[in-house]
Formats: sequence, C-alpha cells, structure tokens
Amino acid sequence: MEVSEQAAIALRQLRERLCSRTLAHSLLLYSSDNNFSKLKFHISSSISAACSKVLLLRGDKGSGKSAVVELVLKDLKAEHPDSISVVTLYGLLHSDDDISALEEIARQLCVGHKFSFSKTVSLDENKEFLMDMLKEYGLARKTVVFVLDEFHLFTQGKQWLLYTLFDAMETFTSQSIIIIGLSCLEGSEQQLEKRVRSRFSSCTLLFGPPSEEDRIRLLEQLLHLQKDSSLASKYVVEFNSRLDKIFSDKKFKEILSYVTCADGSTNHLLRFLFTASSYMDMESGFLSLQSFERAYSLMKRQPKFASLHDLSVLELYILVCMHRLQCKEETSYNFNSVMKEYKAIQDAHKTSDNYSHAVCLRAFEHLLDRELISFTDTKGRNDSIKFRPVKLLVSSRELDSSLKSNPSCPTILQKLLDHESYM
Amino acid sequence: MERTTPLKLSRLRSDSSLAATPPPTPGFTGPRRSGRLLTSPGPTKPDDDNPSSLPTPIPSSTKAKRRLSLESPTTDPVTPIRSESKRPKRATVQYKKVLHGDVQFQVGDDIYVKKQGSIESDSEDPDVEECRVCFTPSSKSKVMIECDDCLGGFHLRCLKPPLKKIPEGDWICSFCTDKKDGKEVVWPEPPEGKKIKRTAREKLLSGDLHAACIKSIWRKVDGSYWLRCIWYRTPEETAAGRQPHNLRRELYRTNDYGDVQINSVLRHCYVMNPEEYQRAGDEGDDIFYCEYEYDVNYHNFKRLPDIEDGTCDADYAENDESSDYEGDSDGDSDNDDKSLRGTSSTRSRSKVLAANSRKGRAYWLPKIAESKTQENRKRRKQTNLEKASAALSLASRPTSPPCRNKEMEEIETFVKGAIGGHQCLGRCLYIHGVPGTGKTMSVRAVMRNLKSEVDSGVLRPFCFIETNGMKLSSPNNIYKNIYEQLSGHAVGWKKALHCLNEHFSNGKKLGKKDQKPIVLLIDELDMLVTRNQSVLYNILDWPTRPNSKLIVIGIANTMDLPEHLSPRISSRMGIQRLCFLPYNHEQLAQIILSRLKGIDAFEDNLIELACRKVAASSGDARRALQICQRAAVLAEYRVKQSADAKAKGKSRVCLTDIEGALDEVFKSPHIQRMKMCSKFGKIVLTAMVNELHRTGGEELTFEKLSERVISFCSMHHEAFPGFDTLMRACCLLGDSGIILCEEPKKHMSQKLQLNCSSGSDDVALALKDCSEIPWLSLYL
Repeated sequence: MEVSEQAAIALRQLRERLCSRTLAHSLLLYSSDNNFSKLKFHISSSISAACSKVLLLRGDKGSGKSAVVELVLKDLKAEHPDSISVVTLYGLLHSDDDISALEEIARQLCVGHKFSFSKTVSLDENKEFLMDMLKEYGLARKTVVFVLDEFHLFTQGKQWLLYTLFDAMETFTSQSIIIIGLSCLEGSEQQLEKRVRSRFSSCTLLFGPPSEEDRIRLLEQLLHLQKDSSLASKYVVEFNSRLDKIFSDKKFKEILSYVTCADGSTNHLLRFLFTASSYMDMESGFLSLQSFERAYSLMKRQPKFASLHDLSVLELYILVCMHRLQCKEETSYNFNSVMKEYKAIQDAHKTSDNYSHAVCLRAFEHLLDRELISFTDTKGRNDSIKFRPVKLLVSSRELDSSLKSNPSCPTILQKLLDHESYM
Repeated sequence: MERTTPLKLSRLRSDSSLAATPPPTPGFTGPRRSGRLLTSPGPTKPDDDNPSSLPTPIPSSTKAKRRLSLESPTTDPVTPIRSESKRPKRATVQYKKVLHGDVQFQVGDDIYVKKQGSIESDSEDPDVEECRVCFTPSSKSKVMIECDDCLGGFHLRCLKPPLKKIPEGDWICSFCTDKKDGKEVVWPEPPEGKKIKRTAREKLLSGDLHAACIKSIWRKVDGSYWLRCIWYRTPEETAAGRQPHNLRRELYRTNDYGDVQINSVLRHCYVMNPEEYQRAGDEGDDIFYCEYEYDVNYHNFKRLPDIEDGTCDADYAENDESSDYEGDSDGDSDNDDKSLRGTSSTRSRSKVLAANSRKGRAYWLPKIAESKTQENRKRRKQTNLEKASAALSLASRPTSPPCRNKEMEEIETFVKGAIGGHQCLGRCLYIHGVPGTGKTMSVRAVMRNLKSEVDSGVLRPFCFIETNGMKLSSPNNIYKNIYEQLSGHAVGWKKALHCLNEHFSNGKKLGKKDQKPIVLLIDELDMLVTRNQSVLYNILDWPTRPNSKLIVIGIANTMDLPEHLSPRISSRMGIQRLCFLPYNHEQLAQIILSRLKGIDAFEDNLIELACRKVAASSGDARRALQICQRAAVLAEYRVKQSADAKAKGKSRVCLTDIEGALDEVFKSPHIQRMKMCSKFGKIVLTAMVNELHRTGGEELTFEKLSERVISFCSMHHEAFPGFDTLMRACCLLGDSGIILCEEPKKHMSQKLQLNCSSGSDDVALALKDCSEIPWLSLYL
C-alpha cells in the first residue's frame, strides 16, 4: 500500500475519533470515583427503589456534561430495556413558554412509544396528557428521565414547567421521575421561585477540566493508531513512535499549555487536535510538530488585532487623533472634534497626508464598519454621523504595535502616539 | 361463519370464548343508536343454546348456591382458564379469567351484578327487548328503533305513521313528544297474560341492578369464586342527582370497591368511554356511557382518562369484520343507509386520534403498560440506609403531619363551625406561611379526619374540592376546574362562571334538592391575582351570598396578600387568618424522627445538627428532609464504593455524609468552580480583585483589567496571550456566573463585576494556594 493511501485511512480514523460526541469523554472514565459512576449510581438506585430525584450537573461549557448523561442513559437503557423513556428539553428552545415545552414533551413521549401525535391540541390537553402519562408510568413501574439542557434558562419567568415536574415527583409515589439539569451558570438554583425552590432538592455533580496527566493520556488514546486496523503494522508502529517523540518534546508541551491556558475544557482540546490533524503531512503520512504549531497559530489568531493591520495611513491618523483626545480626558468626542484635532496636527507638522473633509469622512465610516470605533449610544440614529459621539474600541497597546508593524506608517504618527502632548 | 349472526346477544352466547372481547364496532358515527337494528332470529333462540349453563335463569340466589355446591364435586361450573397461581401455599388463588356457566369473565370486564336481597319480580331475564306497542320482539323482518329520550324500542311498522327507514340524528318517539307538549299519554296496554318485562338495562337505570367492572378474581378455600369490582353509579345515585347534561345511558365510575360472589353476576354489559360510545352503532341494549369518575367520599367528579385497558385495541381489530356483519343484517334496509355506513366506517378507521388529545388518550395510554414491565425487580432486602432514604423522600407521606396539632385544630374548628351548624354560612379562611411548613398537608389531614367523622355520622356530609393555582394555565380556568369537579361536566370557563354564579347566588341547584356544603381549597392563591383581580373577587364573593354554603380555604405564602389586593377583596378574605410559622429545630427533628421510626440509620446528634442548620435559615421541612435523605444517599454511595462486605449491613450515616449534604445545600458553589477555572481565568480573577481593591469600586472595564493582567504577566514571566484570548477567558467566566460581564461587542469598554456574595474573599479563599500559579497569592 502506498504511503499516501495509508495516510488517508489513518486520517479518517483520527477524525472519526475526534469528532465523536462521547468517545473522548468515555476515555476519561477510567477512575472509579468519577462523575460517570456517581451519576449512574444515583439513577440506577432511584430506578430500583422507584423514587424520584433531581440531579444537577454543573460545569463549564464543553466539559462533557451532556456526553456523560448520554453515556449513562445508554448504559442504563441496555440494563433495563423498555423501562426507561427519556425526554430532552433545551433551554434555548423550550424555556420561553409552557406551550412549546409541553408540546415537545408530549411529542417526545409519543414518538418514544410510537403513538400518534397531534400538534393542534390545546395546552390543557397536553398538560393532562403529561399527567396521565406520568400516572401510567407509575402503574407500569417505569422510569421517565427528563434531561433539561441549559437548566438555568428554565429558571426564568413563571417556572411553570419546573413546578409541575417537582410537584408530580411529590404526588406520584412509587415511581421514578428523574430530572437531570445541565447548567454552566452558577447559582441557577438561586433564581428559582420560592415555591419551586422549596420543592427542589438536588444532588449536584461538578464537572471540571481534565488534569494535566489526564490530558496527556487522552491525547495518546485519541491519536495513537490501532494495531489491528487495516493499516500496515510497520506504518502504525512508526506513526505511534513519532507521536510519542512529539509528546515528549518540550516545545509541544509549551504549545499545549498555551492552548489550554484560557479554556481547559475537553472540547476545546478536541478542536485543537482536529485542526492539527488537518495539517498532517500527507506526503510522509505522519503527524509532525509543525502540524501542531500551525494549528496553534491558527487558534491563537486575534481578530481584532488583525483588522488593525491593513489600515490606510489616514485611518491610522484618525485612530491616533481619537486616542489623543481620549488622553486629554475629553469624555465625549465626535467626528467634528476628531477633525479639529487632525487639522491641528496637519497645521503643526505640514505632512503630506492632508486630506479633505469628505475623504476623512469616508475613512471614518470605514473604521465604523470595521468596528474599531463605535458610537457610544444607540440613540439618535437619524442624526448625521458627524455629530454622534464615538469611542475607541482598541487599546493603546494594540494601536502601538499595529503602527510598528505597518511598513507604510509615517514616523511622525508613532511619535504622536508615544508622546501625547507632543505637538 | 358464526360472526354473521346478527343479534348481538346471541353472538355473545354462541361463541362465549369471545365474550370477553367488546362489541364489534361498525364505526358508525351517524345517527347514534337510533338505528338499533335488533333483528333477532327469534325469542327462543338464546334459550336453545345451552339452557342449563346460563347463569341468568336462576330464580334466586340461595337456590343458585345450593345448585352450585351440588355440582361442584363433579363438574365445576366455574372453570379457571388461565390460572396464575402465584403463591400456591396461600388459601386464595388468583385468576385472570374464569368460565362461569358458558360465559367467560375476565379482569377488566364490565358486568351486571344483582342487588343483594332484592326480590326478582320477573325471574327470567328478557334479554330481547320487546316493542312497546305490539309487545313482540324484533325479528329479521321487523326492524326496531330506539327512542333517544325514554329508550323504549319500537318496530318501525308499529309507529304512527310507520317509518320506512331509520331516520338520521336523534329520534324521539311520539309518546315522549306528546308528554313534552303536555298532552296526556296513554301507553299501549300489554296483551292479556303478558307482563311488561324489563330488560337488564332498564333495571340498572332504575336502580334494581348494579353495574361493575371486574378488578380481580379469586377462589376461596371453600371453592367459591369471588370478584372484586369497581362499582358504577347511575346519575341518580350521585349526590348531584341527574343533571340536564347527563345522557340517558350515562354511568359514573366510582372509587368504591366491593367483593361479590360470582353467582350474583348476571351477565356482561359494556361501559364505554365517549369515543367508543360515539363509534358504537347498534350493539344491543347493554352498552353504557362513562366519562367521569365519581368520588364517593367527597362527591366530586373527575374526568376519566381511560376506562378499560385494551378495549380499544380489540375494537380496532374487529373493525374489518363489522362490514360483513352489516351486510347481512341490513339485508332489507335501504341501500342509501348501507352505503353511508360503509363510507363512515372507513373514514373512522383511517382517522386515528392523536395520543395527546383528550379523546385519543384512552386508546393510546394503556399501551405503556402492555410493553414489558420491570418484573425482575430485585427482591433483595433493603439496607437501613435505603430504607431511610425512602422514608425521608418527599413523596412518602405520613398519615398525619406531626407538630401541627394547634393549627389543625384551628382549621377543624373553622370547618366544623361553618358546616356543623344548622344553617351553613359561607366563610373564608386565609392560611399563610413560608414554603415547606405543611400548610396543604395539614388541611388535607383535617379533611381526612372530618371525612371519618362524616362516615361515623357525627358530622353532616360535605363536598371537598381542591385546586392549585400553579397548575392552572390561566387564572380563569379555575372556574372550569371547580365546575367540573362539582358537577362532572366540562364546559368553557365563561359558562362555568355563569353556572357557578347561578348556583351560589340564586341557589339554583346543580344537583338534588338537598345541597351539601362545599369546602373549596385553593392552593397558591396568589397565582389567581389578575390585573383587575376579578377572579379572586368572584371566588371570595360567593361565600358572602346567602344560601351559598361555600367555605373557601386559601393558601399562599405572603402574610399580607389581602393587603396587597383591592379593599373589596381584602374585606372579604382578610378576616380569618391562620399563620403557619416556620418549624424550629426541635419540631424538624421530631418530623424526621417520626419518619425514621424503627430504622437505625443515623448516628447520634446528626439529625439535630442538620435541623439546627435548616431552622436557622428557613425552617423549611422539605429542606431538612432533603438534607437527611441526601446524607443517607451519600453514605450509601460511600459504602458501595468501599466494597467492604461486612460493613454493608450495619453502616450508618456519619458526620462526613451529613456535612457533605449540608455543604451541597448551604455552601456557595462558586469556590469550587473558581478552583476549576483555566489558568488565565484565575489570573483574570486575581487581577480583578486587585484592581477593584485599588480603586475601591464595584466594577471595572476590560481595558483596566487587561492593563493589570499585562503587568502581572510581565512581572512573572508569563506570555501574554493577546487581548482576544483574554476576552475569551472573561466570557467563559461570565458564562459560568462567577463574574458578570457585558456583551463582548463593547470590547475595551466592556464592564465587569464579581458575582459573589462576599466578593474578593471568595476569590482569595479559592486561589490562595493554587499549585499551578503560585504567585497569585501575592496579590490576594
């Protein structure tokens, strides 16, 4: 087999693994005292004891909350076939009113049992249907699991849904209704209405980012090729040994720490690895340190800073003028006051960049479009641009470095920025 | 082709193995039941079938018993079909189906039951109805029609003028129309020597028979077979009496059980839910309509979701056969009629109602139980901890709430004072207290006590209605809810309001002349407050009217709800109030210990610790129960993880468990989250605390923050990742709720604020000894 062919197969394998919703999180579940086993214990104990429970999973975005829930429910469905039904609601979609949430619950329950479902029934009927279903579940000794994604969004407004569910948990004895809330926002239970809060009791599970060692182990498990696959064993051994060499490289560790310094979640790491795999050298068929470096350079891109780069000289003048005005502690300035400053500089230094009023206005509008400057208020939309107060959206540091990196920047501009009072 | 036998009853007899299946439905939705086409093969036919085995011609119950006991040694007349002898050791054996005589009864069937001690005036059961004019039964050539008012049967040809075909829609006989017009009606006299025989249906509706639904069947040691049945009641037998909206064939299902011997069972009848009834065209005389359940204790009505498990399935299955059945029976009827039936039946077959609509629910819901249920539930012995957590769960309700004796007494005297006197006066009680202080539970317990007093005859009977403001989709729906529970009739809220107003003010009766006092409990009263407060006004105005006999008990959280409302409402409600104070720690401990009686799961003083904590913060009993339950679950998990076999049996909740549970409830979760932040998240937090401390303000802009972070980084040789990465770290912190931040569009002027109760202290506590970035502690 040719190298490039093998590389293509290897790449496909890697991507399949990196894009799987649950694989990376299931690889992290080796220890006994983790969230997976806790969650599974809670749910299975309440299934066997037929009692109801609320579980709240907290953790940053991308820390694998929903993946773990998925894994646990999959396991439990295999253990108790036919006796668990799952209803998943998303806060962004179903929290705004009772109608959509109830309809969605009814729909999912109907679909789960292959019942026919009608969209046209009234809110009351859906409500009665939910209650009857819960009663019926109690008689049949079955479990219904409500997964509320973005739980904090359900804690706003009238909270009718939560009240109904919690009240049902109290009313129907000998039945397990399990509610799993997933939330990235702290203190969502503080927002609950007092009656709902009194009925709310939850086990909370906290999801954190993986530790340093876990991260390395995860990398190995995700990127190492499997021996028993359709690839030549020589290639696999070579691929894996090269990876090991990269992992032990000091530079790689540095890159990894940069990647995780702002966002340590598993999903962020997966995104980085996927980008790196896209830079795999298809000629040689191996992942190299360069691929990781290029992926990192792609990840660390600073969009605001980049948009400063290819500005024209006049636009830079305007930004510097605005910065000077800001330093003079003028609280509010608009295009006219910026132009006054610009004219003063032109008069003092007699540069070749003296443009007319209309041209400056065009440049000013361009800056507004790029969102490097913005209007301070949203009022007065109908006023002329010239008179609306504006503000600068970049810091002096960013401006300074962009002036330095711009080859066509006149030196006078640099001086004007450095020494604010220099005229 | 037995199936083609047109007469419904003879069908049942001839293939009695199928007797359990409900009547075949031709799916005829047109003129309901007026086209009852009883074309019987002849009056003698049913008796020819198997006269000895029929259960019906037994003249009296005593005789029947004797005969049964005589027969039992040789041939048992009651043959269990599929016996499910669960526990052979026990004296009684449960059955799913039995064959009594020739008729099979199974669990879920509806039956006629003879009244005990009633004298059977007409001993033989005329299962074939006779024409009210000529007193001969219907035959193939003589089609009979049923009056929708008096339910009497008439031959088409005996009518004056004779009808050619079955009319569409409701049909009322000339006798009834005459009666309505005030004319004197002379019913045709029966010919000499012939009595007017009453059918089972007529006897039931006049109260000489009972209808019931079989719930279980078993055999006693002496070999007698017994059935446990749920009784049906006719509208006349309810407290409300027959109401104008009641159908002639309407029955109410009750929550009343009774055990009867199989001898007193007459035969099958068919009680249908509204949808089946709609579809049922001409299944003979023994079908009834049931839409509501009647609570015999509180005399209120509840809409039934379903009546009989599995009935509908059989209906659908038999739909196909119904067509050839019609073909035979309609042999001499008009062609138009037939074609109409054909089309309507196909239409109804193709249209299957959705499960979430009110009508379709009865068809779909029983399917949940059909699919396999968890039977292999582990029957192992529960450990102490499991028992404790089950006993402490909110769902398990003790019969009487402890520590609320004074309040319960007060409620009891209030209700008794209102209904106990000779003249029942309307009154209003407002109960308030923070959540979880047992308000609703106490009222319910009082109602239970009063109910038992009613049963023993000390107190006059009353009607108890309960609603919850949180469970209504809009405040106006409370009228609908109350009216439905009161009368068993669902109408729109405007109509319901009108009817209730009439009922309470003019004394226009919903039911019989003897009107009972009504106790109305409204939970979460504050949810009913609308902008013009009309709902509350209406409800609270009813008790003030004479003859209303209404007692309203409102429950809400706020002490001064009446004062928030307009004066005309507060003057009606605010007079009598009852406050439920939060529990103190001793009461909480008493509540928990009363639930844990006999379960040794907690180490000493731990409950008191939890109760003191809860009492200090809220006094919410739910909270205390939850903490203890949580501790039990934590202990259970700990024991399970330890995997020490001998520790399992006698493990108890220890201090660490209860502390863990308390932490979960009371401790701010922010600190844990801060420890889990990314590296730059931590640096941002530290920089924020430092900057806020310097300026003494509450909030800062992103520009200031980034300056500080840059200076930190340069001082401690960290690489500054750039403004946009920093912004991302800030946004992640904002998402997790640790800081509050504006939308990132504002960039440099984005405002940031710490979102902790104790601000910088929390951050210091969380990040003081961070191993990853040790220099952070310098700035905290």
